[in-house]
Amino acid sequence: MTDRNDRWRDLLRRANRGEAKAYAQFLTEVTPAIRTIVLGRSGRDAGSEDIVQEVLLAVHARRHTWRETDPVAPWLYAIARYKTADAFRRMKRGGHQVPIEDLAEQLPDEAQVDPTAARDLGRLLDGIDDRSAQIVRAVGLEGQSAGDVAGGLGMSEGAVRVAYHRALARLRRLAAGDEKEDETRK
Amino acid sequence: MKTEDLIASLAAEPLPPAGPSLERRAAGGLAAGAFVTLALFAVVLGPRPGLGIAVSDPVTLAKTVLPLVLAVLSLGLVLRASRPAVPSGAASRIIWAVPAAVFGLFVWAFVTTPAGQRLADFVGHSIHVCLPSITALSLPILGGLLMALRQGAPVNPVRCGALAGLASAGLATAIYSLFCIEDTPLFYGVWYSLGILIVTGLGAVLGNRLLRW
Repeated sequence: MTDRNDRWRDLLRRANRGEAKAYAQFLTEVTPAIRTIVLGRSGRDAGSEDIVQEVLLAVHARRHTWRETDPVAPWLYAIARYKTADAFRRMKRGGHQVPIEDLAEQLPDEAQVDPTAARDLGRLLDGIDDRSAQIVRAVGLEGQSAGDVAGGLGMSEGAVRVAYHRALARLRRLAAGDEKEDETRK
Repeated sequence: MKTEDLIASLAAEPLPPAGPSLERRAAGGLAAGAFVTLALFAVVLGPRPGLGIAVSDPVTLAKTVLPLVLAVLSLGLVLRASRPAVPSGAASRIIWAVPAAVFGLFVWAFVTTPAGQRLADFVGHSIHVCLPSITALSLPILGGLLMALRQGAPVNPVRCGALAGLASAGLATAIYSLFCIEDTPLFYGVWYSLGILIVTGLGAVLGNRLLRW
């Protein structure tokens, strides 16, 4: 416990000085602990990994509330418990509502069903608006990161992810022969 | 998105510029709010005549000092409540000395006031000024504090908001007491406390809405 606290403290301290590697290491090491807390509450729910990710995002967004003199584990566990309880409260109230900035980070990996692999991609891309097509080309075909594309277009990274996700959904439906080209949001 | 990918993308994000600490933000919000409150007080109410002489009586002085002590203690508590897993410490016990002292003063005043005079002292003549004033003077401070606390991460937003209400009400009541000429604990021990409770409840409601993250 103390060992782990010291180790996490060291990693998080270095992360807060800008060491991306230490930060990745920190997040990787705390994830199992977070998962334990989430599963303790949820059992083996299908959505529990989403909550784990919500906790990680919360840790990320609120890491300035940790002071270097504070022990890391209680701070981390408190965030995990708060976010888990919050997620359950939301689910109970009906519908899994996630604020858009969280959603943007959580969108599913699009790799499995990749409409950009379609033969007539060019024709499909003509079917959606220019900006979306540009994002799909950059992210899906040229393999640029959402962050890079965001910089080029003057959008936020989250907005690019959302736009990419929506564009792919529309392409998928175009590819499926559904010519009704409306917004994908429900 | 897979969790490993999320971690990778979070770690790749550039470090946000180090902003002012939570304590500094809270001090800023408090100062801005208190400035508005003092201006409001100066324009609408103003200090009572003969303030200097009045506060030479310790029982009168207590109606300014006790809310001030309450404000200082609850300010410390609200800052602790705004970070995850920071224990609330000794202040959470010491703060009960304030209501205990108020109760003591009330009992003392009850005993030393002639029976026929008690009800008149208790009702006083300014409840309709006292309660709205304490609430109104608290609002700018509460607003400033809550704005600052939104940068925090309170794991109990209701409690955190209530403590912010308590702190702002304590400060506002100390300021209001400089105007108020009802000097018996039979009055201020009850009505000031009620005003502070109203603002604390308001803080709890606002905290529940504004301090979630």
